[in-house]
Amino acid sequence: MTKPMTAPTRRSGKDTAKTAGYYSLLWVVAILFFLPILWIVMAAFKSNTAILNTDYLFTPTLDNIKSVFDRPNVTSQFISSLYLSIGSVILAVAVSFPAAYAFSRWKFAYTDFLMFLLLSTRMVPAAAAIVPMLLMFNLFGLRNPFGFFLLYTSFSIPFSVWILKGFIDGVSERFDETAMVNGASRLHVMFKVVLPQVKPGLVAAFIFNLIFVWNEYLFNFSIGSEGVRNVPYGIANGLVDSGGNVDWGFLAAMSSLYLIVPMLMIFLFQRYLLVGMTFGTVRGDV
Amino acid sequence: MVSIRLENLHKDFGGSVVAVDNLSLTFDEGSTTCLLGPSGCGKTTLMRMIAGLETQTSGRIFFDDLDVTKLKTRKRDLGMVFQYPVVYQGTTIRQNIGIPLRRENMTTAEKNERVDEILDLLGLSDVANTDVGNLDYATKQKVAVARAISRRPPIVLFDEPITNVDLTAKLQLKLVLKELFTKLKQTVLYVTHDQTEAMTLADKIALMRDGRVEQLASPRELYTNSQSVFAGRFLGNPGMNFLGKNDSSEIIAQLLGNRYTEQVSSVGFRPEDVVVSADQTPGAVPAEIEHVAIVTGGQHLVTLKSGVRIVKAKLPWHVPFTKTDGEHVWWSVPETKVRAFDSAEQLVPSGAVAVGS
Repeated sequence: MTKPMTAPTRRSGKDTAKTAGYYSLLWVVAILFFLPILWIVMAAFKSNTAILNTDYLFTPTLDNIKSVFDRPNVTSQFISSLYLSIGSVILAVAVSFPAAYAFSRWKFAYTDFLMFLLLSTRMVPAAAAIVPMLLMFNLFGLRNPFGFFLLYTSFSIPFSVWILKGFIDGVSERFDETAMVNGASRLHVMFKVVLPQVKPGLVAAFIFNLIFVWNEYLFNFSIGSEGVRNVPYGIANGLVDSGGNVDWGFLAAMSSLYLIVPMLMIFLFQRYLLVGMTFGTVRGDV
Repeated sequence: MVSIRLENLHKDFGGSVVAVDNLSLTFDEGSTTCLLGPSGCGKTTLMRMIAGLETQTSGRIFFDDLDVTKLKTRKRDLGMVFQYPVVYQGTTIRQNIGIPLRRENMTTAEKNERVDEILDLLGLSDVANTDVGNLDYATKQKVAVARAISRRPPIVLFDEPITNVDLTAKLQLKLVLKELFTKLKQTVLYVTHDQTEAMTLADKIALMRDGRVEQLASPRELYTNSQSVFAGRFLGNPGMNFLGKNDSSEIIAQLLGNRYTEQVSSVGFRPEDVVVSADQTPGAVPAEIEHVAIVTGGQHLVTLKSGVRIVKAKLPWHVPFTKTDGEHVWWSVPETKVRAFDSAEQLVPSGAVAVGS
């Protein structure tokens, strides 16, 4: 099959100017949003005096970064953050996919209501749940990595199910039926026929929840114990030194390091993420 | 090959919604049967029950002597093609067709040979290595057909496979399917609401209405020997003309001659059997021409008005027809072509003169 030829489009000068105008505007907005991040990253390489003087020109130093890792617990906080977020989100997506498949394919009575109920667990403000959660976690001895693993997984499931159901709805049931007629089992249909077609949904669910868990501070601070302290906790906890001064250098360095994981994930999965943002609303059925 | 036998097969969706109404019939082995009927007549539900994708409320299904009523879809050894063309993205046509063969007990060489053969049958050899994502709708559907038959299942089910295909491709696909059915001699069930499709493809047509099969017969038999008002009306373009006893009893008596009985409640006749003449002939009915149109095939479709009655006549293209709207003519129907129906809209025993007489 030959590729369709596209005629080179000739734009008038007015159009070009218009396009250029739009793009400049977009760039201005993008830079405006990016400035705080730039400021933080720059501050990570400044001395404390340079930060407070808001110097634009400065001699970069690695002192802040080095001092971050000189502190006790920082490494373990990064490790906790990594395995708690990545682990719990992978588990959440793994559990959510079969659930979403069931919700999509077996439309028994009250399916919609059940879906609503699932999401309603996220409607109570997290702060309101702190005390009961603390009591419960104490009672069951869950204030440990395992307990937090469960906590974050359960927080990630409702949203993942919603995203994935949207995607699975977009895969015609005729795919399932064709495969079954050809001798496939339901499990084969789920994992070999439907799963490959909802990859963008899996990635979207993964990234959205990862960012949520990666940012989680409230529960970690209030009901966590030594073994589960994550980076947001570390930042808040290490912010003020023994003399009562805010250690801006530490804050900037830790925050910059902290940004790496989400940025890396988004960079790696960006081609899926754009599709994921539409929540699979582009349907293929007739 | 395998025949499909239904025994009192019934499906309702709770309460009064009956999709398939206590059906008992047999689809012969190696034959192509079209399930034809309007939307909602239960044809798709019936096919889905045969495939095991829908569970029957009661009744049994046999493939030859094997009771498959409770058998899972994947164990029924079928091929099926849906209206929506199912192709597996990211694979080539060749790979798509090979997918159902993965579990078959065949050597790689045998599998390749089988795929080549199927590609050739459907005229896909030249594009065998194209990615299916780039194909048009009709070709995707061809791939779906090819995949459905690649395992050579004894039964293949088609659920309106070419309904959404554009007209030119439809014609071509119809020919491909016809050739396929003739060559492979599988037992084929083909659901459609398009009578032309059914007439072209079927050995037999099962005309369905409200969950029941009105008539199961060869296309010609179904057309010329319609057993009910529904069959008369549904088939043909336009369908039969009907005259009811309450306003046309005199004409009915005239058309039926000595076949007229008390039982007769209406008569029907095909538009192509109506004879229109400028002069009065014995037994002819006077009418005014309401409209003349040329239809596919070049025939004149003449709408006649006799009082309140509207009668459509389809006249051969090679006979010049010069009359126009508003002119007065006479129409009649050869007695053998007039069919009489009772109040239940079924053919009365003496309602038809045997075909060919």
